[in-house]
Amino acid sequence: MKTWQRLKKQPELWKRYFLREQVIRDIREFFHTRGFHEVETPLLLKNPPAESYVDVFRTTLYDRHRNPTDAYLATSPETSLKKLLAAGIGNCFALTKSFRNMETQSRLHNPEFTILEWYRTGVAYEKIMSDCEDLLKALSGVSGQKLRYQGNIIDVSPPWDRMTITEAFSRFAGINSHDLYDVKRLAGAARKKGYRTDGATWEQIYNQIFLNEIEPKLGLRKPVILYEYPAAVAALARIRKDNPLVAERFEFYIGGLEMGDAYTELIDWREQESRFKREMKEIERLGKTVYDYDQDFIQALKSGLPDCSGIAVGVDRIVMLLADVNDIAETLFFPGKDLFGAE
Amino acid sequence: MATITTADFRKGMFIEFKNEPHQILDFQHVNPGKGSAFVRTKLKSLKSGRVQEFTFKSGESVVEVSVETREMQYLYREGDVFIFMDNRTYEQYHVQSGLIGDFVKYLRANDTHQLLIHNDSVVGIRLPKKVRLTVTEADAGAKGNTATGATKVVTLETGARVTVPLFIREGDIIAIDPETNSYLERSA
Repeated sequence: MKTWQRLKKQPELWKRYFLREQVIRDIREFFHTRGFHEVETPLLLKNPPAESYVDVFRTTLYDRHRNPTDAYLATSPETSLKKLLAAGIGNCFALTKSFRNMETQSRLHNPEFTILEWYRTGVAYEKIMSDCEDLLKALSGVSGQKLRYQGNIIDVSPPWDRMTITEAFSRFAGINSHDLYDVKRLAGAARKKGYRTDGATWEQIYNQIFLNEIEPKLGLRKPVILYEYPAAVAALARIRKDNPLVAERFEFYIGGLEMGDAYTELIDWREQESRFKREMKEIERLGKTVYDYDQDFIQALKSGLPDCSGIAVGVDRIVMLLADVNDIAETLFFPGKDLFGAE
Repeated sequence: MATITTADFRKGMFIEFKNEPHQILDFQHVNPGKGSAFVRTKLKSLKSGRVQEFTFKSGESVVEVSVETREMQYLYREGDVFIFMDNRTYEQYHVQSGLIGDFVKYLRANDTHQLLIHNDSVVGIRLPKKVRLTVTEADAGAKGNTATGATKVVTLETGARVTVPLFIREGDIIAIDPETNSYLERSA
Protein backbone atom coordinates (compact mmCIF):
# COMPACT_ATOMS: atom_id res chain seq x y z
CA MET A 1 0.00 0.00 0.00
CA LYS A 2 1.31 3.47 -0.90
CA THR A 3 1.75 6.01 1.85
CA TRP A 4 -1.11 8.22 0.59
CA GLN A 5 -3.43 5.22 0.70
CA ARG A 6 -2.39 4.42 4.25
CA LEU A 7 -3.02 8.03 5.27
CA LYS A 8 -6.49 7.85 3.78
CA LYS A 9 -7.20 4.68 5.70
CA GLN A 10 -5.53 5.68 8.98
CA PRO A 11 -5.93 9.45 9.41
CA GLU A 12 -4.21 9.25 12.81
CA LEU A 13 -0.92 8.88 10.84
CA TRP A 14 -1.06 12.47 9.54
CA LYS A 15 0.27 13.75 12.85
CA ARG A 16 3.52 11.85 12.44
CA TYR A 17 4.06 13.08 8.90
CA PHE A 18 3.31 16.70 9.83
CA LEU A 19 6.27 16.63 12.26
CA ARG A 20 8.48 17.32 9.25
CA GLU A 21 6.65 20.56 8.53
CA GLN A 22 7.34 21.73 12.08
CA VAL A 23 10.99 20.64 12.00
CA ILE A 24 11.61 22.57 8.77
CA ARG A 25 9.94 25.67 10.22
CA ASP A 26 11.92 25.42 13.48
CA ILE A 27 15.24 25.00 11.69
CA ARG A 28 14.66 28.09 9.53
CA GLU A 29 13.61 30.12 12.58
CA PHE A 30 16.67 28.92 14.52
CA PHE A 31 19.13 30.17 11.92
CA HIS A 32 17.28 33.31 10.92
CA THR A 33 17.18 34.52 14.53
CA ARG A 34 20.94 33.93 14.72
CA GLY A 35 21.59 36.09 11.68
CA PHE A 36 22.48 33.35 9.18
CA HIS A 37 21.74 33.89 5.50
CA GLU A 38 19.66 31.14 3.95
CA VAL A 39 20.87 30.38 0.44
CA GLU A 40 19.61 28.27 -2.43
CA THR A 41 22.23 26.03 -3.95
CA PRO A 42 21.95 24.24 -7.31
CA LEU A 43 20.55 20.71 -7.44
CA LEU A 44 21.87 20.22 -10.96
CA LEU A 45 25.66 20.42 -11.10
CA LYS A 46 28.37 20.06 -13.69
CA ASN A 47 30.90 18.90 -11.09
CA PRO A 48 29.64 17.24 -7.92
CA PRO A 49 31.93 17.13 -4.86
CA ALA A 50 34.55 14.43 -5.42
CA GLU A 51 33.64 11.71 -2.94
CA SER A 52 34.50 8.10 -3.62
CA TYR A 53 32.01 6.81 -1.05
CA VAL A 54 29.03 8.41 -2.73
CA ASP A 55 27.36 7.32 -5.97
CA VAL A 56 25.99 10.14 -8.09
CA PHE A 57 22.98 10.36 -10.36
CA ARG A 58 24.05 11.31 -13.87
CA THR A 59 21.80 13.03 -16.37
CA THR A 60 22.28 15.04 -19.55
CA LEU A 61 21.77 18.72 -20.14
CA TYR A 62 21.08 19.74 -23.76
CA ASP A 63 21.37 23.15 -25.30
CA ARG A 64 18.96 24.35 -28.01
CA HIS A 65 21.03 22.58 -30.64
CA ARG A 66 20.83 19.33 -28.70
CA ASN A 67 24.51 19.45 -27.81
CA PRO A 68 24.81 17.28 -24.71
CA THR A 69 26.65 18.05 -21.46
CA ASP A 70 26.94 15.61 -18.57
CA ALA A 71 25.14 16.90 -15.51
CA TYR A 72 24.82 15.47 -12.01
CA LEU A 73 22.34 15.77 -9.18
CA ALA A 74 23.89 17.38 -6.13
CA THR A 75 25.06 14.92 -3.47
CA SER A 76 25.34 17.81 -0.99
CA PRO A 77 25.31 21.64 -1.11
CA GLU A 78 28.83 21.80 0.35
CA THR A 79 30.93 23.08 -2.55
CA SER A 80 28.33 25.69 -3.53
CA LEU A 81 28.13 27.00 0.03
CA LYS A 82 31.91 27.21 0.33
CA LYS A 83 32.12 29.24 -2.88
CA LEU A 84 29.78 31.75 -1.24
CA LEU A 85 31.90 31.67 1.92
CA ALA A 86 34.96 32.44 -0.19
CA ALA A 87 33.00 35.29 -1.76
CA GLY A 88 32.36 36.69 1.72
CA ILE A 89 28.77 35.81 2.61
CA GLY A 90 29.58 35.04 6.26
CA ASN A 91 27.44 32.71 8.36
CA CYS A 92 25.02 30.85 6.10
CA PHE A 93 22.88 27.75 5.75
CA ALA A 94 21.07 25.70 3.14
CA LEU A 95 18.08 23.45 3.72
CA THR A 96 17.75 21.50 0.52
CA LYS A 97 17.41 18.19 -1.28
CA SER A 98 20.41 16.03 -2.11
CA PHE A 99 20.59 12.84 -4.13
CA ARG A 100 22.64 9.72 -3.65
CA ASN A 101 22.47 6.65 -5.82
CA MET A 102 22.74 2.97 -4.91
CA GLU A 103 21.55 3.39 -1.34
CA THR A 104 18.41 1.24 -1.47
CA GLN A 105 17.55 -1.53 0.99
CA SER A 106 18.40 0.72 3.86
CA ARG A 107 16.12 2.05 6.53
CA LEU A 108 18.39 5.07 6.91
CA HIS A 109 18.59 6.21 3.29
CA ASN A 110 16.29 7.48 0.58
CA PRO A 111 17.53 8.26 -2.96
CA GLU A 112 16.61 11.91 -2.39
CA PHE A 113 16.83 13.32 1.10
CA THR A 114 16.69 16.61 2.94
CA ILE A 115 20.01 17.94 4.10
CA LEU A 116 20.80 20.89 6.34
CA GLU A 117 24.23 22.46 6.11
CA TRP A 118 25.38 25.48 8.04
CA TYR A 119 28.69 27.27 8.21
CA ARG A 120 30.18 29.77 10.63
CA THR A 121 33.19 31.86 9.79
CA GLY A 122 36.03 32.60 12.17
CA VAL A 123 35.33 29.66 14.51
CA ALA A 124 36.54 26.08 15.00
CA TYR A 125 34.23 23.08 15.17
CA GLU A 126 33.55 23.32 18.92
CA LYS A 127 31.13 26.16 18.15
CA ILE A 128 29.23 23.88 15.74
CA MET A 129 28.96 21.31 18.54
CA SER A 130 27.11 23.77 20.72
CA ASP A 131 24.95 24.79 17.74
CA CYS A 132 23.84 21.15 17.48
CA GLU A 133 22.91 21.06 21.16
CA ASP A 134 20.97 24.31 20.84
CA LEU A 135 19.22 23.30 17.62
CA LEU A 136 17.88 20.04 19.04
CA LYS A 137 16.68 21.90 22.08
CA ALA A 138 14.86 24.41 19.87
CA LEU A 139 12.88 21.80 17.95
CA SER A 140 9.26 21.92 19.00
CA GLY A 141 8.94 18.16 18.95
CA VAL A 142 11.36 17.98 21.85
CA SER A 143 9.19 18.36 24.90
CA GLY A 144 10.75 18.50 28.33
CA GLN A 145 14.18 17.70 26.81
CA LYS A 146 13.41 13.97 26.94
CA LEU A 147 12.74 11.91 23.85
CA ARG A 148 11.43 8.41 23.57
CA TYR A 149 13.15 6.69 20.68
CA GLN A 150 12.79 2.98 19.93
CA GLY A 151 12.42 2.02 23.55
CA ASN A 152 15.11 4.33 24.92
CA ILE A 153 14.50 7.53 26.84
CA ILE A 154 17.03 10.05 25.58
CA ASP A 155 17.82 13.22 27.48
CA VAL A 156 18.73 15.70 24.75
CA SER A 157 19.37 18.67 27.03
CA PRO A 158 22.87 20.19 26.79
CA PRO A 159 25.63 19.47 27.42
CA TRP A 160 25.84 16.25 25.41
CA ASP A 161 28.44 13.56 26.00
CA ARG A 162 31.69 14.15 24.16
CA MET A 163 34.13 11.41 23.31
CA THR A 164 37.10 11.22 20.96
CA ILE A 165 37.26 8.36 18.45
CA THR A 166 40.34 7.12 20.28
CA GLU A 167 38.38 6.96 23.55
CA ALA A 168 35.43 5.26 21.85
CA PHE A 169 37.60 2.50 20.37
CA SER A 170 39.30 1.96 23.68
CA ARG A 171 36.11 1.98 25.75
CA PHE A 172 33.76 -0.04 23.49
CA ALA A 173 36.12 -2.18 21.41
CA GLY A 174 39.14 -2.53 23.67
CA ILE A 175 41.47 -1.19 20.98
CA ASN A 176 44.16 1.23 22.12
CA SER A 177 45.39 4.18 20.08
CA HIS A 178 48.66 2.37 19.41
CA ASP A 179 46.76 -0.28 17.41
CA LEU A 180 44.07 1.99 15.99
CA TYR A 181 46.32 4.18 13.88
CA ASP A 182 48.46 1.41 12.43
CA VAL A 183 47.00 -0.69 9.62
CA LYS A 184 48.90 -3.87 10.48
CA ARG A 185 48.26 -3.68 14.19
CA LEU A 186 44.58 -2.82 13.65
CA ALA A 187 44.18 -5.77 11.26
CA GLY A 188 45.80 -8.03 13.87
CA ALA A 189 43.43 -6.80 16.58
CA ALA A 190 40.47 -7.26 14.24
CA ARG A 191 41.47 -10.83 13.35
CA LYS A 192 41.68 -11.67 17.04
CA LYS A 193 38.08 -10.52 17.32
CA GLY A 194 37.09 -12.81 14.45
CA TYR A 195 36.87 -10.30 11.58
CA ARG A 196 38.15 -11.20 8.14
CA THR A 197 40.81 -8.75 7.10
CA ASP A 198 42.15 -10.24 3.86
CA GLY A 199 42.32 -7.48 1.26
CA ALA A 200 40.63 -5.01 3.61
CA THR A 201 41.79 -1.42 3.81
CA TRP A 202 42.43 0.37 7.10
CA GLU A 203 39.21 2.32 6.55
CA GLN A 204 37.15 -0.85 6.10
CA ILE A 205 38.53 -2.50 9.23
CA TYR A 206 38.12 0.70 11.22
CA ASN A 207 34.53 1.16 10.08
CA GLN A 208 33.61 -2.51 10.49
CA ILE A 209 34.69 -2.44 14.12
CA PHE A 210 32.99 0.92 14.55
CA LEU A 211 29.69 -0.32 13.08
CA ASN A 212 29.70 -3.60 14.98
CA GLU A 213 30.96 -2.59 18.38
CA ILE A 214 30.61 1.14 18.83
CA GLU A 215 27.80 2.72 16.82
CA PRO A 216 24.93 0.63 18.24
CA LYS A 217 25.84 1.87 21.74
CA LEU A 218 25.98 5.55 20.91
CA GLY A 219 23.51 8.07 22.20
CA LEU A 220 20.99 5.72 23.78
CA ARG A 221 20.61 7.85 26.94
CA LYS A 222 22.19 11.11 25.87
CA PRO A 223 23.34 12.35 22.47
CA VAL A 224 27.04 11.75 21.89
CA ILE A 225 29.49 13.91 20.01
CA LEU A 226 32.34 11.82 18.63
CA TYR A 227 35.29 13.98 17.68
CA GLU A 228 38.91 13.93 16.54
CA TYR A 229 38.59 11.49 13.66
CA PRO A 230 41.66 9.67 12.36
CA ALA A 231 43.36 11.71 9.63
CA ALA A 232 42.74 8.87 7.17
CA VAL A 233 39.00 9.64 7.35
CA ALA A 234 39.43 13.40 7.56
CA ALA A 235 37.18 13.98 4.51
CA LEU A 236 37.21 17.79 4.19
CA ALA A 237 38.34 18.48 7.74
CA ARG A 238 41.46 20.29 8.88
CA ILE A 239 44.21 18.13 10.41
CA ARG A 240 45.11 19.11 13.96
CA LYS A 241 48.37 21.01 14.03
CA ASP A 242 49.43 19.56 17.39
CA ASN A 243 48.50 15.98 16.43
CA PRO A 244 48.78 15.02 12.77
CA LEU A 245 47.07 11.68 13.46
CA VAL A 246 43.67 13.27 13.88
CA ALA A 247 41.40 15.69 12.07
CA GLU A 248 38.97 18.27 13.46
CA ARG A 249 35.92 16.33 12.42
CA PHE A 250 32.97 15.34 14.59
CA GLU A 251 29.76 13.41 14.19
CA PHE A 252 26.84 13.33 16.57
CA TYR A 253 24.72 10.32 17.35
CA ILE A 254 21.32 10.13 18.95
CA GLY A 255 19.64 6.82 19.66
CA GLY A 256 22.24 4.96 17.58
CA LEU A 257 21.51 7.19 14.56
CA GLU A 258 24.27 9.15 12.87
CA MET A 259 22.74 12.61 12.59
CA GLY A 260 25.46 14.93 11.35
CA ASP A 261 29.05 15.24 10.20
CA ALA A 262 31.07 18.39 10.92
CA TYR A 263 34.51 19.84 10.26
CA THR A 264 36.75 22.68 10.95
CA GLU A 265 36.98 23.19 7.22
CA LEU A 266 40.05 22.55 5.18
CA ILE A 267 40.97 25.87 3.59
CA ASP A 268 44.29 24.92 1.99
CA TRP A 269 43.55 24.67 -1.74
CA ARG A 270 46.60 22.51 -2.48
CA GLU A 271 45.64 19.94 0.11
CA GLN A 272 42.03 20.09 -1.12
CA GLU A 273 43.05 19.51 -4.73
CA SER A 274 45.27 16.58 -3.84
CA ARG A 275 42.42 15.02 -1.79
CA PHE A 276 40.07 15.50 -4.77
CA LYS A 277 42.56 13.82 -7.10
CA ARG A 278 42.90 10.93 -4.67
CA GLU A 279 39.11 10.60 -4.54
CA MET A 280 38.82 10.61 -8.34
CA LYS A 281 41.39 7.81 -8.57
CA GLU A 282 39.44 5.83 -6.00
CA ILE A 283 36.17 6.43 -7.90
CA GLU A 284 37.80 5.01 -11.03
CA ARG A 285 39.27 2.06 -9.15
CA LEU A 286 35.84 1.24 -7.69
CA GLY A 287 34.26 1.38 -11.16
CA LYS A 288 31.81 4.10 -10.11
CA THR A 289 30.39 6.89 -12.28
CA VAL A 290 33.35 9.10 -13.15
CA TYR A 291 33.13 12.89 -13.40
CA ASP A 292 35.49 15.84 -13.34
CA TYR A 293 36.23 17.41 -10.00
CA ASP A 294 35.21 21.01 -9.51
CA GLN A 295 38.04 23.32 -10.68
CA ASP A 296 35.86 26.30 -9.89
CA PHE A 297 35.74 25.20 -6.26
CA ILE A 298 39.54 24.99 -6.14
CA GLN A 299 39.62 28.49 -7.66
CA ALA A 300 37.35 29.68 -4.86
CA LEU A 301 39.68 28.21 -2.22
CA LYS A 302 42.65 29.79 -3.99
CA SER A 303 40.94 33.16 -3.79
CA GLY A 304 40.79 32.66 -0.03
CA LEU A 305 38.26 30.70 2.00
CA PRO A 306 37.99 32.30 5.46
CA ASP A 307 38.57 30.13 8.52
CA CYS A 308 35.26 28.43 9.02
CA SER A 309 33.47 25.38 10.38
CA GLY A 310 30.38 23.65 9.14
CA ILE A 311 28.18 20.63 9.33
CA ALA A 312 25.79 18.50 7.28
CA VAL A 313 22.77 17.12 9.13
CA GLY A 314 20.24 14.57 7.88
CA VAL A 315 16.91 16.30 8.40
CA ASP A 316 14.97 13.10 7.67
CA ARG A 317 16.79 11.44 10.56
CA ILE A 318 15.79 14.27 12.89
CA VAL A 319 12.19 13.59 11.85
CA MET A 320 12.74 9.85 12.40
CA LEU A 321 13.95 10.61 15.91
CA LEU A 322 11.03 12.87 16.80
CA ALA A 323 8.50 10.51 15.21
CA ASP A 324 10.06 7.48 16.96
CA VAL A 325 10.21 5.43 13.75
CA ASN A 326 13.10 3.26 12.64
CA ASP A 327 12.63 3.60 8.90
CA ILE A 328 13.16 6.84 6.99
CA ALA A 329 10.29 5.82 4.68
CA GLU A 330 7.91 6.31 7.61
CA THR A 331 8.66 10.04 7.59
CA LEU A 332 8.16 10.66 3.85
CA PHE A 333 4.87 11.10 1.99
CA PHE A 334 6.54 9.68 -1.11
CA PRO A 335 9.39 7.39 -0.06
CA GLY A 336 11.60 5.90 -2.77
CA LYS A 337 10.12 2.49 -2.22
CA ASP A 338 6.62 3.78 -2.98
CA LEU A 339 7.88 5.38 -6.19
CA PHE A 340 10.27 2.73 -7.44
CA GLY A 341 8.93 -0.39 -5.75
CA ALA A 342 10.20 -2.06 -2.62
CA GLU A 343 13.44 -3.91 -2.99
CA MET B 1 28.52 -25.26 0.49
CA ALA B 2 29.21 -22.43 -1.84
CA THR B 3 31.12 -19.22 -1.44
CA ILE B 4 28.97 -16.16 -2.01
CA THR B 5 29.34 -12.45 -1.32
CA THR B 6 27.17 -10.01 0.58
CA ALA B 7 25.65 -9.02 -2.79
CA ASP B 8 23.93 -12.43 -2.85
CA PHE B 9 22.32 -12.03 0.56
CA ARG B 10 18.61 -12.82 0.69
CA LYS B 11 16.30 -12.97 3.66
CA GLY B 12 15.94 -16.53 4.93
CA MET B 13 19.26 -17.66 3.48
CA PHE B 14 21.70 -19.74 5.56
CA ILE B 15 25.35 -18.81 5.96
CA GLU B 16 28.29 -19.89 8.05
CA PHE B 17 29.14 -17.34 10.71
CA LYS B 18 31.85 -17.96 13.33
CA ASN B 19 31.92 -21.59 12.16
CA GLU B 20 28.25 -22.17 12.80
CA PRO B 21 25.24 -22.10 10.49
CA HIS B 22 23.09 -19.01 10.82
CA GLN B 23 19.98 -17.82 9.07
CA ILE B 24 19.82 -14.27 7.69
CA LEU B 25 16.63 -12.86 9.21
CA ASP B 26 17.14 -9.38 7.85
CA PHE B 27 19.80 -7.27 6.22
CA GLN B 28 20.34 -3.58 5.56
CA HIS B 29 22.92 -1.65 3.60
CA VAL B 30 24.75 0.89 5.72
CA ASN B 31 27.17 3.63 4.77
CA PRO B 32 29.02 5.24 7.63
CA GLY B 33 29.63 8.98 7.13
CA LYS B 34 32.30 9.31 4.43
CA GLY B 35 33.02 5.60 4.56
CA SER B 36 32.78 2.56 2.33
CA ALA B 37 29.68 0.37 2.13
CA PHE B 38 28.69 -2.30 4.65
CA VAL B 39 25.85 -4.76 5.10
CA ARG B 40 24.25 -5.02 8.53
CA THR B 41 22.58 -8.38 9.14
CA LYS B 42 20.40 -9.95 11.77
CA LEU B 43 21.59 -13.54 12.13
CA LYS B 44 19.93 -16.41 13.94
CA SER B 45 22.11 -19.25 15.11
CA LEU B 46 20.65 -22.56 14.03
CA LYS B 47 22.23 -24.24 17.03
CA SER B 48 21.21 -21.94 19.85
CA GLY B 49 18.44 -19.91 18.25
CA ARG B 50 20.24 -16.81 19.48
CA VAL B 51 19.78 -13.72 17.31
CA GLN B 52 22.62 -11.24 16.89
CA GLU B 53 23.56 -8.39 14.61
CA PHE B 54 26.70 -8.39 12.54
CA THR B 55 27.95 -5.93 9.96
CA PHE B 56 29.88 -7.30 7.00
CA LYS B 57 32.07 -5.34 4.63
CA SER B 58 30.18 -4.93 1.37
CA GLY B 59 31.52 -7.56 -1.01
CA GLU B 60 32.98 -9.73 1.76
CA SER B 61 32.73 -13.42 0.93
CA VAL B 62 30.87 -15.85 3.14
CA VAL B 63 30.01 -19.52 2.88
CA GLU B 64 26.43 -20.39 2.11
CA VAL B 65 25.23 -23.38 4.07
CA SER B 66 23.05 -25.92 2.35
CA VAL B 67 19.94 -26.47 4.36
CA GLU B 68 17.23 -28.72 2.99
CA THR B 69 13.61 -28.82 3.97
CA ARG B 70 11.76 -32.04 4.74
CA GLU B 71 8.08 -32.58 5.36
CA MET B 72 7.53 -33.90 8.83
CA GLN B 73 4.52 -34.65 10.93
CA TYR B 74 4.38 -33.33 14.46
CA LEU B 75 3.60 -36.22 16.81
CA TYR B 76 3.80 -35.21 20.45
CA ARG B 77 5.70 -33.27 23.05
CA GLU B 78 7.95 -34.50 25.85
CA GLY B 79 8.71 -31.56 28.11
CA ASP B 80 10.88 -29.23 26.11
CA VAL B 81 11.34 -31.66 23.24
CA PHE B 82 9.01 -31.98 20.27
CA ILE B 83 8.86 -35.25 18.38
CA PHE B 84 8.49 -35.09 14.60
CA MET B 85 8.37 -37.88 12.01
CA ASP B 86 9.83 -37.66 8.51
CA ASN B 87 6.89 -38.32 6.18
CA ARG B 88 9.11 -40.15 3.70
CA THR B 89 11.40 -42.28 5.87
CA TYR B 90 9.20 -42.45 9.03
CA GLU B 91 12.33 -41.62 10.97
CA GLN B 92 11.67 -39.71 14.19
CA TYR B 93 13.44 -36.51 15.17
CA HIS B 94 13.68 -34.93 18.62
CA VAL B 95 13.56 -31.17 18.30
CA GLN B 96 14.39 -28.72 21.11
CA SER B 97 11.70 -26.09 21.59
CA GLY B 98 14.27 -23.31 21.06
CA LEU B 99 14.62 -24.34 17.42
CA ILE B 100 10.90 -23.90 16.86
CA GLY B 101 10.68 -20.69 18.78
CA ASP B 102 7.41 -18.88 19.17
CA PHE B 103 5.76 -21.26 16.69
CA VAL B 104 5.38 -23.98 19.37
CA LYS B 105 2.11 -22.42 20.38
CA TYR B 106 0.62 -23.29 16.98
CA LEU B 107 1.78 -26.92 16.91
CA ARG B 108 -1.11 -29.38 16.63
CA ALA B 109 -0.55 -33.13 16.63
CA ASN B 110 -0.52 -34.76 13.17
CA ASP B 111 -0.02 -31.50 11.27
CA THR B 112 2.72 -31.58 8.66
CA HIS B 113 5.37 -28.86 8.61
CA GLN B 114 8.52 -28.06 6.66
CA LEU B 115 11.52 -28.68 8.88
CA LEU B 116 15.01 -27.43 8.09
CA ILE B 117 17.76 -30.05 8.03
CA HIS B 118 21.51 -29.48 8.22
CA ASN B 119 23.97 -32.36 8.63
CA ASP B 120 21.02 -34.68 9.19
CA SER B 121 19.73 -32.85 12.21
CA VAL B 122 16.77 -30.54 12.50
CA VAL B 123 17.92 -26.93 12.81
CA GLY B 124 14.63 -25.10 12.53
CA ILE B 125 11.19 -24.87 11.08
CA ARG B 126 10.05 -22.97 8.00
CA LEU B 127 7.09 -20.92 9.11
CA PRO B 128 4.03 -21.42 6.91
CA LYS B 129 2.37 -18.27 5.51
CA LYS B 130 -0.70 -19.11 7.59
CA VAL B 131 -1.89 -21.66 10.13
CA ARG B 132 -5.56 -22.64 10.39
CA LEU B 133 -6.79 -23.50 13.87
CA THR B 134 -10.12 -23.79 15.65
CA VAL B 135 -11.22 -21.24 18.21
CA THR B 136 -11.95 -23.08 21.46
CA GLU B 137 -12.71 -20.15 23.73
CA ALA B 138 -14.26 -16.86 22.72
CA ASP B 139 -16.25 -14.49 24.86
CA ALA B 140 -19.44 -14.09 22.82
CA GLY B 141 -20.58 -10.96 24.62
CA ALA B 142 -17.20 -9.18 24.55
CA LYS B 143 -17.57 -5.54 23.71
CA GLY B 144 -13.95 -5.41 22.70
CA ASN B 145 -11.73 -2.41 22.65
CA THR B 146 -13.47 -0.20 20.12
CA ALA B 147 -10.80 2.48 20.32
CA THR B 148 -8.34 0.19 18.57
CA GLY B 149 -10.77 -1.04 15.96
CA ALA B 150 -13.05 -3.48 17.80
CA THR B 151 -11.00 -6.56 18.62
CA LYS B 152 -10.94 -9.21 21.32
CA VAL B 153 -8.63 -12.00 22.40
CA VAL B 154 -9.61 -15.65 21.83
CA THR B 155 -7.97 -18.98 22.63
CA LEU B 156 -7.16 -21.52 19.92
CA GLU B 157 -7.15 -25.31 20.18
CA THR B 158 -3.39 -25.33 20.75
CA GLY B 159 -3.73 -22.90 23.65
CA ALA B 160 -2.41 -19.93 21.70
CA ARG B 161 -4.16 -16.62 22.38
CA VAL B 162 -4.64 -14.23 19.49
CA THR B 163 -6.35 -10.94 18.83
CA VAL B 164 -9.26 -11.20 16.38
CA PRO B 165 -12.23 -9.14 15.16
CA LEU B 166 -15.36 -9.17 17.34
CA PHE B 167 -17.41 -11.40 15.00
CA ILE B 168 -15.20 -14.48 15.61
CA ARG B 169 -16.99 -17.15 17.64
CA GLU B 170 -16.16 -20.39 19.38
CA GLY B 171 -15.85 -23.19 16.82
CA ASP B 172 -14.73 -20.91 14.00
CA ILE B 173 -11.65 -21.92 12.09
CA ILE B 174 -9.39 -18.94 11.61
CA ALA B 175 -6.11 -18.30 9.80
CA ILE B 176 -3.18 -16.67 11.60
CA ASP B 177 0.10 -15.35 10.24
CA PRO B 178 2.59 -17.09 12.55
CA GLU B 179 5.31 -14.55 11.77
CA THR B 180 3.35 -11.63 13.20
CA ASN B 181 0.74 -13.55 15.22
CA SER B 182 -1.90 -11.52 13.46
CA TYR B 183 -5.37 -12.62 12.39
CA LEU B 184 -5.77 -13.06 8.64
CA GLU B 185 -9.23 -14.47 7.89
CA ARG B 186 -12.06 -16.76 8.95
CA SER B 187 -12.20 -20.01 7.01
CA ALA B 188 -15.53 -21.04 5.55
